[in-house]
Amino acid sequence: MSVGAMLFYILVFPGLLFLLTWTFFVFYFARKMLALIHKRVGPHFNGPAGSLQTVYDVFKLLSKESITPKSADPYLFNIIPIITPLVAALPVILIPWTPLINGGHGILDTQYGILGLVVLIGVEPFLLFLTGFGSNNKYSFLGGMRILAQMLSMEAPFFLAALSPALLFGTMNLYEIQSQNTWLSALILLPGAVIFIIAMLGILEQPPFHIPDAEQEIVYGFYTEYSGTNYVLLKFAEFTEMLVVSAAAVVLFFGGYRGLFFDSFWWLFLKIALLALVMVAIRASNPRLRLDQMLKFCWSWLTPLAILNMVWIIFAKIYILGV
Amino acid sequence: MENIKNILNRYDMEYIEDYKSSWVKAKLKNKEDLLKVVKDLKEAGVKTCSTVSPTDFIDENKIEVNYFLEDLFGKKNVWLKVDIDRELEKCEIDSITPLMPSADWHELEAYSTYGVKFKNHPNLRYFLISRDYYGKYPFRKDFDWKAHEKNLVQNINDITEEYFEEYDEYEKNVGHEGSRTILNWGPTHPASGPIRLKVHTNGENIEKIDPDIGYVWRALEHLAERKDFIGTIVAVERICFMDNPNPMICYSQAVEEIAGKEITEFAKYMRVILGETGRIASHLISLGGFFGTMGLHTFMMWCLDIREYFLDVLEDYSGARIATASVEPGGVRYPLNDYQKWFESVKRALRKFEDTKNDITDIFMKNPLMNTRAKGNGVFTLEDVSEFYLAGPVARASGAKIDVRIDEPYAAYGELEMDYVTCENGDARDRLFIIFKEIEQSMDLIRQAMEKIKAGIEAGEMDPKKDHLIRMPKKMPAGEAVTRVEWARGEMLMHLVTQEKATSPYRLKLKAPSVNHTMVLNKLLKGKTLSDIPLLYGSMNICQGDLDR
Repeated sequence: MSVGAMLFYILVFPGLLFLLTWTFFVFYFARKMLALIHKRVGPHFNGPAGSLQTVYDVFKLLSKESITPKSADPYLFNIIPIITPLVAALPVILIPWTPLINGGHGILDTQYGILGLVVLIGVEPFLLFLTGFGSNNKYSFLGGMRILAQMLSMEAPFFLAALSPALLFGTMNLYEIQSQNTWLSALILLPGAVIFIIAMLGILEQPPFHIPDAEQEIVYGFYTEYSGTNYVLLKFAEFTEMLVVSAAAVVLFFGGYRGLFFDSFWWLFLKIALLALVMVAIRASNPRLRLDQMLKFCWSWLTPLAILNMVWIIFAKIYILGV
Repeated sequence: MENIKNILNRYDMEYIEDYKSSWVKAKLKNKEDLLKVVKDLKEAGVKTCSTVSPTDFIDENKIEVNYFLEDLFGKKNVWLKVDIDRELEKCEIDSITPLMPSADWHELEAYSTYGVKFKNHPNLRYFLISRDYYGKYPFRKDFDWKAHEKNLVQNINDITEEYFEEYDEYEKNVGHEGSRTILNWGPTHPASGPIRLKVHTNGENIEKIDPDIGYVWRALEHLAERKDFIGTIVAVERICFMDNPNPMICYSQAVEEIAGKEITEFAKYMRVILGETGRIASHLISLGGFFGTMGLHTFMMWCLDIREYFLDVLEDYSGARIATASVEPGGVRYPLNDYQKWFESVKRALRKFEDTKNDITDIFMKNPLMNTRAKGNGVFTLEDVSEFYLAGPVARASGAKIDVRIDEPYAAYGELEMDYVTCENGDARDRLFIIFKEIEQSMDLIRQAMEKIKAGIEAGEMDPKKDHLIRMPKKMPAGEAVTRVEWARGEMLMHLVTQEKATSPYRLKLKAPSVNHTMVLNKLLKGKTLSDIPLLYGSMNICQGDLDR
């Protein structure tokens, strides 16, 4: 890999610039869609159809003072917002984004693609717990505890569902999984995809599982004390994680960048945008669950179903695909 | 009724007389008898204390304490008066809280504002009023407000200083122990409003809730005494902005009763329409807020969208959307110059709700996650209703057939067809459903009242341009009145006292339901988790405006 290519990957695509653009886009997209369902207008004045509003918002936050509370641990409090987006952005190298880069493989083409994804996604909540721990604030700490409880339980079905394509195709390489996917195998994988998406909502703290930053209960959870640049960095990490996890869902279950007439990045993007639309629709119509109800749902429904799904995959592999 | 009179006759009374359809008014001679009377009344079914209202007669050197005791299900109410000494040392009376828990905070309020000491009250303390009024009893007639207000800045500085002195000690005093701690829910919390709940938690589990109120105390009861009889409507309507016309209706009725005037039929029906519009506007906020407490804002936006149309109705009539000042003693404030045009705007609002109703039912009322959260959560039984005097929708959600509009009809409610709207389970979900049902009932009442007005005008019995207001005397005779209305959040009771040739009220007691609803929070939330606080608190429809007054 040449230095120029490496710099391009890091700074432009699928690195910094791409992730920033995505953050602006998804922020705007979610606001506008939510406003439509709310019977509101949403961002309106800045830029065409208010599209520059999010850009302004981010730059406003960047120019604000980042306050470190007196009682917080200053090192922990300020270092975590830098580490978090870096860790959130790491899985980007594993995902095959477009046929144009690296012959359609991910930048790092490895046999352990799924493992890498799951591990890197799984590190994130511990960092967020540390933000709550470092804030030394009761609400933040409760938010941190909640995110740990949620993550420990949601990761089981998440990982089990992510394994189902690996079982079906006999490989953990993301490129091979997406290129072996057919209409029939996508159908077989559908239950796994549903479980994956539900667990994904839990991992991303999206409604109805937005328990760790439940505004009405514990103010803003682990975000409570953050402001200015630190807050932007944490939000950036959140949206990056959202991109990575949705892209993982598309690559694992819905054929990645492969499309109807041609293969392109835009197919991947379209599928991710559809997933985001589903998330917005769920956000707009469902209230939050309670922590204990979420745990019960996760361990007594989602995890057993994920295990049943593995049985179904093996059954389908032997009797339907006949491998 | 006879039963109650017999009980009262056993004691030494100055007088016992009937008052309105459902009240017995009596005055006790000896304050020592109070506990015995209350105990006997409780055995006869009068289990609830609506409120305790002292009146300061400075010329006669006495304080008259009024007890409003109610039998919620038998509809037999007792208005018990007793005189006590005015001097601070002797100004004491037995507390009825051990017998009737619903009197708890009302007695604390009487103590803080009038200095009436309640003997054997479980926890007598200053309450509600701001710290600089402690020990000064601001509602007494000899309290000098002007002198007190001169030191306003100094008082605020003192409070702040005191706070910072305590601040360092505070965390130590809180006493963390393992996973036990105290969490502040409010007053600057995204979902609380200006109230502070001190939540004693063990991890996520609540062990005790200690509400701290008074953040929006405006001394409305005193403010009314400074204004004239018409000016008072702007004080009472600010009790809570969400349901605006009903408090004014309640106050106006009291003034009309003392003046001995009867308002016109047209004004009565107008009061029904305005009152029900206010009720719907308030209920729509309650509906949306219920889901807002669970992190879903879509419904709130939809409700605000519908509410705009109902506020348009108020605006078309009075020119104001929120603080309308549209009802005054003697009728309603403005003539209806083009009644058809106004009815058209009412109908447009009703249509707007009808159009959205199916979507609301399908998406929100049947929402499975809402069911998971709210079903069977925070149950109130009928015993709780009469013990703590839960009022309005909260009581009716538990199946209690209580509605002042039917029990003691006012305005034109006696001539309209309506029935008690109730649910059975008394959980948080039923408190949501009952509000939805009540909106439909209110819309039905509005339709009926519009029909009657239309028929009246066409038959030439009503003149919308002239009948809206009757002439009220400039100076009132001495007297007192108790009126009740069914407010959006429950029974509102006003006790008005006037003196001979008065131009402003001598004493106006405002009783609003949120006080009792906040009082039961500890019982409601004990043993639940932190996540239940916003949901159950929101299901009680508490408004800090009428909690603090």
